[in-house]
Amino acid sequence: MNNKNKISLVIGGMCILLSCGIAIQVRTITGIGSTTGSNNTENTLRDSVLRTKEDYDNLYEDLDKAEKLLEQERNNATENNTELSELQEEIKTKNTQLGLTDVTGKGVIIELDDNHSVSANSIGLLTDPNSMIVHDSDILYVVNELKNAGAEAISVNDQRIVANTVIECDGSVIKINGVKVGAPFTIKAIGMPETLKNVYRTQGYLWNLKYYYLLEVDFQTSENITIPKYTGTYKFEYAQANN
Amino acid sequence: MIIIAIILGCVIGAIIGVNAPIIPYTYSTFLAIAVVAALDSVFGGITSVIKKNFDLTIFITGFFCNSILSIALTYLGQRLNIDIYLAALVVFVGRMFTNLTIIRRYYVDLWKSKITQKVKSGKKAEE
Repeated sequence: MNNKNKISLVIGGMCILLSCGIAIQVRTITGIGSTTGSNNTENTLRDSVLRTKEDYDNLYEDLDKAEKLLEQERNNATENNTELSELQEEIKTKNTQLGLTDVTGKGVIIELDDNHSVSANSIGLLTDPNSMIVHDSDILYVVNELKNAGAEAISVNDQRIVANTVIECDGSVIKINGVKVGAPFTIKAIGMPETLKNVYRTQGYLWNLKYYYLLEVDFQTSENITIPKYTGTYKFEYAQANN
Repeated sequence: MIIIAIILGCVIGAIIGVNAPIIPYTYSTFLAIAVVAALDSVFGGITSVIKKNFDLTIFITGFFCNSILSIALTYLGQRLNIDIYLAALVVFVGRMFTNLTIIRRYYVDLWKSKITQKVKSGKKAEE
């Protein structure tokens, strides 16, 4: 009997390990949202995409850590030197202006989405269904108006808008900073809320998008907006400063 | 007794697994093959209990060696760009089916003999 107890105990322990492993595996796979398809090529491709994405995330984390370390080292090095610490402050300000740091502040959040309420039957003969979806030009116009209203930092679906940002059409999605983003679009802007409100003025572009083109537009001010930093790089090879 | 242990173990393991952190996708292949190896070992253990030649040491070492070896083979396969884990999978699942057959036969035989015994005792009572 003692022997049998021991056997049950060991098998029970194995079952704990086993079902624990199965549960973790199932959760990992469902978390990724990928299931094994019937097509082998498709599976291999999906597998390599997921692996590359994970590698990218890991490297990005490393980069973040390295940047923090650099920041710390700079702080340490300039601690006891007024001139250097002034320069350090300047680097910080310039980085913020270039969009290389996360920023927080008050501003506005605009939600832009395609018109989901129309169908092929309900749409009029003369209405162009193409006008019922958000285009790259709409985003460009809105971003432009926000800049005009004095926005200090803008992001579209967490892609920071900087000096060399490109907003372009890429089939059914829009490419911003080379990253594909799709509807619904969340445009965040930090700046003086009173002036930024003018973007949503009557007969303004955004207003027209809502009431003339019948897109789904939501505009609200917020006291606390966080805009992520620009993750790309600035290249300056041909332009030289004249001084 | 053993069946209770299995069910209890599975329930406790599932609860732990649901609350445990998930692993990176890169390593999920290894975990998957280790799970299959462990499953094979458990089936093998049940079979040997039925056959009455169960050895605890062999069972435990088999459980861990199978898992580790299959993980190592999968890793080697990734290095060599050949799906070695497929071979391990075929072996494990094949053995699982064999073991399942043995377990099934045992219980079907048990069931049959019980029925015949009942019939016999019923006949005896009639006489």
